[in-house]
Amino acid sequence: MLIRNPRGWELPEREATPEALVLGRRTVLKAAAGIAAAGSLAWPEAAGAADLPAVMRNPRYRPERDITAEREATTYNNYYEFGSQKTISQAAQRLPLRPWTLRVDGMVDQPRDFALEDLLRQVQLEERLYRLRCVEAWSMVVPWTGFMLSDLLKLVGPQGSAKYVRFETAAIQGVMPGLRQSWYPWPYIEGCTIEEAANELSFMVVGAYGKPLPPQNGGPIRFHQPWKYGFKAGKSLVRMTLTDQRPKTFWEQIQPAEYGFWANVNPEVPHPRWSQASERVLGSRERVPTRLFNGYGEFVANLYTGLQRERLWT
Amino acid sequence: MRRAALILLALAAGAIAWAGWSEPLGGALFRLDPALLNTAQAGIQRHLSPWIWDDVALPVLEQPAWLVPAILGFGLLVLRLLRR
Repeated sequence: MLIRNPRGWELPEREATPEALVLGRRTVLKAAAGIAAAGSLAWPEAAGAADLPAVMRNPRYRPERDITAEREATTYNNYYEFGSQKTISQAAQRLPLRPWTLRVDGMVDQPRDFALEDLLRQVQLEERLYRLRCVEAWSMVVPWTGFMLSDLLKLVGPQGSAKYVRFETAAIQGVMPGLRQSWYPWPYIEGCTIEEAANELSFMVVGAYGKPLPPQNGGPIRFHQPWKYGFKAGKSLVRMTLTDQRPKTFWEQIQPAEYGFWANVNPEVPHPRWSQASERVLGSRERVPTRLFNGYGEFVANLYTGLQRERLWT
Repeated sequence: MRRAALILLALAAGAIAWAGWSEPLGGALFRLDPALLNTAQAGIQRHLSPWIWDDVALPVLEQPAWLVPAILGFGLLVLRLLRR
């Protein structure tokens, strides 16, 4: 008897969209393409709720949980530059989202400074429903709008010698009150291997809930790898550097025993001060079991073969 | 009390010698033990109250490293004199 476990992205036949609906949608998409060609769907110059073009949701990534209410996800935030509490959403509104430039440099053929609007004209935007697991044992599901990190890397041409991507986030004195803790090693630095960056799940996020990404969630542009703890996802990115040296991350400089370079989600490896076996679902009183790689093992487990000597889970 | 005051004043002098006049207390503590402040912050915010960190601990940590033990040391000396 053949026992087959379906993968997360596989759909049963009954969930396939009927042909008539598909054909009708193509008509709509053709019309939309015509409008886009005329320039009216181009990325606008100013930030605002109506600024994000409508994009298709990618059905390959199914969170198997309800989407977290927008209000919950946008008012319960970790963003140390704006404060050490979860209630930083108001303070974060001071972050100027435009103009915004993302520098991509280091071991690339074409280092570039991307104005955000220019960058978004060169990539394929889509919506993905991802689970986000915070190292503090809470989680949420957010419809992110963005594009694959690998698409961005193609634009600059990574050199063969590049082994890591170093992410640097904004640190603006006078805007970010958390920087008063001047002893911390600002700016916030994160990093991943070039193989992790090339993985299909690695996502550059510019929107959430169909709107431009608000500053408290890392706007105007952040990074997200859903199989890792949330602190790995740098917010309000200003620079990405491809390098052959493993970046020393912000948290590795402060608490290396608790927040390491890899930080892959694993329910069997507790944080030194609490269990990671389960997580509180944001917006509810429900606790659910945490899954290895946050449930994305089928996409990423192969990245870590041969790395058993590394501290993959902290 | 006198001994405690003298220890604090000695600490203040040592802080000037080691960290200079302007390095904040938080910076000096971070140099001594990078994990100390984050652990203290997490403990205070989880077990006492989040505002204590932001409104009490942080303003103290932002002061020059020598100033806090100096104030405490002189304060104890003054208290001792008043008691007499």
